[in-house]
Amino acid sequence: MLRIIRLFLVAAFALASLGVPVAQVGAAGDTIVFGSAVSLTGSLTKEGHLTQEGYDFWKDYVNAHGGLKVGGKSYKVDIKYYDDESKPNNASQLAERLIDQDHVDFLLGPYGSGTAFTVAGIAERKKMPMVEGNGAAEKIFSQGYRYTFGVLSPAKKYLQRVLEMALLQKPRPQTLAISASSDAFSLEVQDGAVAWAKDHGLNVVYANKYPDGATDVSSVISAIKAAKPDIILNAGHLQDAILVNKGLKEQNVIAKLYGYSVGPDTPDFVSTLGKDAEDIVGGAQWSEAVTYQGVPGFYRTAKEYADAFDKQFHHRPDYHNAESTAACLAFQYALEKAGSLDKEKVRDALAGLDMITFFGLIKFDSRGLNVFKPMVVNQIENGKLVTVWPAAIAKAKVKYPARPWSAR
Amino acid sequence: MQLFLQNLVNGILSGGILALVALGFSLVYGIMNIINLAHGAYIMLGAYLAWQLFTSFHVDPMLSVPLAFVVLFAFGYVVQRTVINRVVRAPVLATFLLTFALSLVFVTIALFIWTGDTRGVQTSYAGANFTLAGVTVPWAKLLTLVVALVITGLLYLWLHRSKTGRAIRATSMDVGAAQMVGVRVAHVYGITYGLGAGLAGAAGALLTLSYPLTPTMGDPFLIKGFVVCVLGGLGSVEGALVGGLVYGIISSFATQFDVTILGQHLSGTGLQDVVALIVLLLVLIVRPRGLVGRATA
Amino acid sequence: MKAGAAVGRRAGITGKRWVFISTLAIMGLLLFVPSFHNDYINLTFRNILMYAAMSYGWNLIGGYTGYVSFGNVAFFGIGAYCSAVLSKTGIDNVFADVGLALVMCALFAIVVGLPILRLRGHYFGIATLGVALGLTDLANNLDFVGGSGGLNLKQADQAHFYLYYYAMWAVTLVCMLATFFIARSKLGYAFVAIRENEEAAQVLGISPTRYKVIAWALGGMMGGAAGAVFAPANGFVDPGTAFAVDNNVFPIAMAILGGMGTASGPFIGALLLSGVNEILQEKFLWLHSLFFGAIIVLIVVFLPRGLMYLVGLRGGVRRWLSDLRAFRV
Repeated sequence: MLRIIRLFLVAAFALASLGVPVAQVGAAGDTIVFGSAVSLTGSLTKEGHLTQEGYDFWKDYVNAHGGLKVGGKSYKVDIKYYDDESKPNNASQLAERLIDQDHVDFLLGPYGSGTAFTVAGIAERKKMPMVEGNGAAEKIFSQGYRYTFGVLSPAKKYLQRVLEMALLQKPRPQTLAISASSDAFSLEVQDGAVAWAKDHGLNVVYANKYPDGATDVSSVISAIKAAKPDIILNAGHLQDAILVNKGLKEQNVIAKLYGYSVGPDTPDFVSTLGKDAEDIVGGAQWSEAVTYQGVPGFYRTAKEYADAFDKQFHHRPDYHNAESTAACLAFQYALEKAGSLDKEKVRDALAGLDMITFFGLIKFDSRGLNVFKPMVVNQIENGKLVTVWPAAIAKAKVKYPARPWSAR
Repeated sequence: MQLFLQNLVNGILSGGILALVALGFSLVYGIMNIINLAHGAYIMLGAYLAWQLFTSFHVDPMLSVPLAFVVLFAFGYVVQRTVINRVVRAPVLATFLLTFALSLVFVTIALFIWTGDTRGVQTSYAGANFTLAGVTVPWAKLLTLVVALVITGLLYLWLHRSKTGRAIRATSMDVGAAQMVGVRVAHVYGITYGLGAGLAGAAGALLTLSYPLTPTMGDPFLIKGFVVCVLGGLGSVEGALVGGLVYGIISSFATQFDVTILGQHLSGTGLQDVVALIVLLLVLIVRPRGLVGRATA
Repeated sequence: MKAGAAVGRRAGITGKRWVFISTLAIMGLLLFVPSFHNDYINLTFRNILMYAAMSYGWNLIGGYTGYVSFGNVAFFGIGAYCSAVLSKTGIDNVFADVGLALVMCALFAIVVGLPILRLRGHYFGIATLGVALGLTDLANNLDFVGGSGGLNLKQADQAHFYLYYYAMWAVTLVCMLATFFIARSKLGYAFVAIRENEEAAQVLGISPTRYKVIAWALGGMMGGAAGAVFAPANGFVDPGTAFAVDNNVFPIAMAILGGMGTASGPFIGALLLSGVNEILQEKFLWLHSLFFGAIIVLIVVFLPRGLMYLVGLRGGVRRWLSDLRAFRV
């Protein structure tokens, strides 16, 4: 008897594990359901939240303005989220769940190049269109995938704009030092910047990488200091930018310009570093200063977008917010153009998209990457992000050379 | 030469904080045989405590160090008495898994309270430095090292001189014998675990001076602490100190070497941890109980 | 060997036969997972099987010989990279992948194991952790394995997606059966003898180093085989996915929760832990980690020796509580 009860116990545990609840969310009636696995816990929590805000902002706008009009019918919009815990290995399972379990209609990208790369492979196998705004590594787009589209400029361009601006300043900088975190995105950023610098006569005196998630970069800083560069760049993420900036000040490394790929644009950069963040420049996918006049159907200018966003989320949108919203916009226009929810037709509509939005031109090359939208350069002045490049939209002239650490 | 000295200083400064991180981990590991995977979470909690005090009441993080120690000590004591003591004599991996699960709980609660935003403390002396013989030394990191050394020294004295300290060491040698001479093991274990958590909290408060805060900030320090405490020798105060400094200095010097072998570029900064880990393995092979470990643990 | 079997049962290695038969039955049921035609269910169970295989690998060294390794993810990573490098040279064959992984993992285990398996207890554990961390950083820096960017393999089409499920199933089944039969062989008794008392084992003529290296190599081959199937199924390998922290911690957690040093424990643990995790992920958008942690805390506090302990328990609740009391101070 006891034996049977025990057998039953073991079987019950097994069944409990098997009996994963079946959720039916997607495609029912008059709602279009998007799915996205973003990072809501783990090391990329902040960026994941910014992504989610960008998506939700678009969803709320569309639902408040009569929904999406596809083929003469109005649809409500919903987004199904999962938390990938900032781990690419989780993202694949969650993407499969969104597609085969929740039956979402389309995928919105996760945060980060690693996760986006993982999910892109699944989207391809399932022939599921995905637009993402948060994975800039070109390796995502060099696989010949047909169903993944990125609205953002590729990683290689993140710091090129900064260099382009720097070379026009007086006195002209002669030397460049660039460190990078050991992850696919950051190394592409570094490669892009180094190649551009060499082509334009800048002498690269230091280019090296440090372990991903390093807790101490003081030796990297010492090596940079010894190389006496005019420009110091770092390719990495928010944490890296903060660590490098602290390190540069601690060792009193003086250069004419300091620029980081990701970091300065996130509000946390200023709130964490205070006055030490002054004069730092960063490459950005977008800023409030851009002057595009978008097509109707959504907020048409960056200013309108930013003001409305601020009202809803009580902070100014940074470029992570904007690029996430832009990913949704690509779907909006593609769906309207396709006039159908058919995945193949929507994919073709996405591939043929050519629209100006508040975010800039959304248009994909044959790989699915938006190489047509330029980056901007922002600088922190008095605790605020000010767009300083390109000159046509700059709100102020770049402060160059940057003030020494003690004078900020 | 100047770069050599600078790297030596960098290594010592980063090793100091590693030593403090490893110290609490090593105590708990060496004395109670608990691989405390919640150690990183206690570092994080100590850091957020200091940040909260700074943000709400403008308390300097340096002043928060003793407070973080006391608060985390109490917290650790309660955790040990209420949860860990229930399974402390089970096979070592039960507590390994238990502390892993506890850290998941603590980190998620921190995420709930403080959100995932990156935080930082902006002291007036942040980044302030002085230069000596061409070597730049940041005050905050030097101060961190000094405080870490002071704490290590105090702990050493306390463990060897005080009654409770001796009880802790006696318990680590032989639980049964300690019990027979009247040591209250449950209480002693609580104190030991509290000490581990308190030291982690103090390290966390110190880290706010040089390191940004997020709920997962403890993870990399947990792993380094794990390695460092064995490098020096498990369960001994001197061991953690020596291990931390050696680890810091080796990985700092490793950054200077860039070689290309058969077209493969080996970056010193990229491989700094590998070099330190190879040294760890060599040390263990030559001295199986760490650099300053005793013949019998 | 009769006396040996009795000793084995008392030490908890040979367990109950009906438990293992039930485990095999569940395993048999999992053969029908692809018939759901649901890639999510397919992938979820493939991951469960993958973790189970890694857990069996860990169990051999950690559960049977009592040498707790914190670096078995190294084998998984080596296996995954073997497949990736093979794919780069134009070979996309899962048998070749697994074959190469087995050879490489065995070699690696012997070369690294001979020096570090002389270390006792925790020092061995940290040495293995050091090996795993070092390999991760090395993979980040070596160009021929793609550095931080990793390596792409041939993308799995739908047919291969199913193929890799069966491949992972087969790997796990072999690990399970191997564990079962090893535990009942002379080899298994030698492992347990080392766990119970290494000096005594030596006196009995068992060479500890030899048997420890065998246990580590066999366990490493299990993890390596899992990695070799994972890589082509996943489509790409980089240091972050191959040497992921979860791939290190979860197999250990599963073995503990299921029951260390048993032939069913790792599999039961994998089912339990993954099942709980999936349900919580679905129910709680971001608080799932909190509940996941809390549930593990409860399981460890009430079942510190895992589910298999409950199965082998004689004497009911009273015995259970008295066993629990023995763990307290």
